Amino acid sequence: MRHNDQVNNSAVGLDVGTSRICLAQRVRDEFQYETQLNAFVTIPFSKMTENVLKQEKVPHTVDGPDIVVHGNESDRFADVLNIETRRTMDKGVLNPAEPESLGMLRKIVESLVAPVKDRQKLCFTVPAAPLGAEDNLTYHEATLRRILTDLGYEVKSINEGLAVIYSELESSNYTGIGISCGGGLCNVCVAYLSVPVFSFSIPKAGDYIDTSAAAITGERANRVRIVKEDSFHFNGFFADKLQQVLGVYYDEMIQSLVQGMKQAFSNSRNLPKSNRPLPIVLSGGTALPEGFRDRFQKALVETDLPIAANEIRIAADPLHASAKGALVAALADA
Amino acid sequence: MHGVRLIPRILIEQRAATIQDPVARLRYLQRTVVARESAIYGRANRLPWLGLALLFVLILTPGYKKSSVKASFPLKPAVHALPVPGAEINPPDILPPDIIPNVWLVDQSRDFETYSNGLRVDNRYVKPNQRRIFYPVYQRDAIDAGEPEWRSEPAGIVYHTTESDQARFSADQNARLKLIGKAVIGVVQQNHSYHFLIDRFGQVFRIVPETDVANHAGYSVWADGKSIFVNLNASFLGIAFETQTQRDDMPSANPAQVHAARILTEMLRARYRIRQSNCVTHAQVSVNPDNMLVGYHTDWAGNFPFRDIGLSDNYALPPPAIYAFGFDYDPTFVHATGVRLWQGLALAEDQMQTQAAARGLPVSRYRAILQKQYKEVLAALRRAATASDNHET
Repeated sequence: MRHNDQVNNSAVGLDVGTSRICLAQRVRDEFQYETQLNAFVTIPFSKMTENVLKQEKVPHTVDGPDIVVHGNESDRFADVLNIETRRTMDKGVLNPAEPESLGMLRKIVESLVAPVKDRQKLCFTVPAAPLGAEDNLTYHEATLRRILTDLGYEVKSINEGLAVIYSELESSNYTGIGISCGGGLCNVCVAYLSVPVFSFSIPKAGDYIDTSAAAITGERANRVRIVKEDSFHFNGFFADKLQQVLGVYYDEMIQSLVQGMKQAFSNSRNLPKSNRPLPIVLSGGTALPEGFRDRFQKALVETDLPIAANEIRIAADPLHASAKGALVAALADA
Repeated sequence: MHGVRLIPRILIEQRAATIQDPVARLRYLQRTVVARESAIYGRANRLPWLGLALLFVLILTPGYKKSSVKASFPLKPAVHALPVPGAEINPPDILPPDIIPNVWLVDQSRDFETYSNGLRVDNRYVKPNQRRIFYPVYQRDAIDAGEPEWRSEPAGIVYHTTESDQARFSADQNARLKLIGKAVIGVVQQNHSYHFLIDRFGQVFRIVPETDVANHAGYSVWADGKSIFVNLNASFLGIAFETQTQRDDMPSANPAQVHAARILTEMLRARYRIRQSNCVTHAQVSVNPDNMLVGYHTDWAGNFPFRDIGLSDNYALPPPAIYAFGFDYDPTFVHATGVRLWQGLALAEDQMQTQAAARGLPVSRYRAILQKQYKEVLAALRRAATASDNHET
């Protein structure tokens, strides 16, 4: 955490995503962000490697015969060493298949969030319950709460989709639909005058695209993600097979998202048909490719949703929207 | 829950839109909306679904648009539109100019009257009641329970629903519809319940002559520009629709009834020079002196078709029981009403606060003073009624 005299120290926002963890602070009237990849790699210990990591200020931990590199640099090491990064989280919550998830999540969080002594407000994002499945977020949320409380903060959580609304829909008095297309999940929230009235998540998001495309092309999922984030876009001709496959799985994800919205809205007995359209904001790293908005809009138009949209747009800062929303919520609570 | 101020969402939205700082705006919305929902529903974890239901009630409200709302309801109506007691309470930016219709009697027989606007009144079931000679009216700027002004002409109309049995409205149900209609006439006639009844087919029956009092309004309060009316049986005419209250988004009256109400209202307004702001629903005027809450009766609380009947949407008017006599309202009443009536409740609440501030009093203290005033008026009315009874016996 940067310590700056201009920082409004009354509150902090933290977006805890499957792929990335992002810290938001307000400096004067501006929002500032710091992000770490929510991943790590293990490399064999050597004194020289450790010295280089120290010299380069790469976040790492020595763990017996291994050095664990976590955060942003883990991606580069994984690519160089041709190995997969390990993930502390999967589908929006702590990764049950990763034995080091808790410890590494704490390390990554601590690399962003400095300890405080004055019970500063901190608001962190949590996913919504998966559509059609039971809410299984208690352990994940409690774990994060514990980590952050140990750092001295007064902690509260916020639904990730709602955080998008708090970040982007000020102009409609925080009324509308916020969608965060992240790594593990797509989170959807409907709010009216800041009150969350409806939220759910679907388990198809960036990681699903990466692993599915990796399985087809024989690439590593990590490599697929890098290509996807660097060069993929919609509405283009691709000679490259990976790009073609990415397009197929992106479309499938968007269809799942829209069908999920339809199902969620339709299953609600208390949801009469509305003639007042709502704004929809898309955010998250998975919403970044050029043409994503148009493809989502097309899918939405082809689906008979009970709620009409008057605007569909990408968030002004898609990678930081959830963190900003969490910060706005924390500041409002401060 | 009692005593929690329930600000309509429309006003909350408008006020929030003026707050530039996103954090401050969110803080305001969270404070007002969440507190409001919690007050209504008690349990915060029920907020999401119930809140959504309210959202769509609002969304489905006919004519609800940000722009149109802005035009109709200024940001701080209490300050700009509503004066302290003694001034005009019928603000020109809420109601359009009041034009009295021109309707006259065309034909009259023993059983029927026909009017120039097509109204036909069936007099076969008229049953006279106590004669209206004089009724008391209180001056808004100086309520004096012992010195009211006395009037004899009807000053307004209160619309009711009979809440009677309803057969399906179709040709194959004719016999049943007529049978129920006849039974309803019998009941309201026996009890002198209303001056007029509009049946399911839109037929207008005079039940109690306008020269007499009908037992339609009970404990009730309304006010116009200068006068306050208390217990409206004598001062206001009662018109009942043979219907049951439907949900907010469902009409409680069929087109034949709405048409009949329109031409009947035109005739009564023409004959008695009734201001449109004095044409109101039972829910708007009904009070309960035992708990000092408005809305003891909730017929036509949310979906009265004012505009279809040729009137301004009087739900926007603040209930005088609140600002003149310190009555309160509870979440049950708000929940029973549509957003249209909440507009008036909020204005009344704002006005009450403005009045209290103008006198340098806390709202609770000012409310207590107003309530005491109401009780004095009520006591005077009871004394007058007792004296009248004694005189007659």
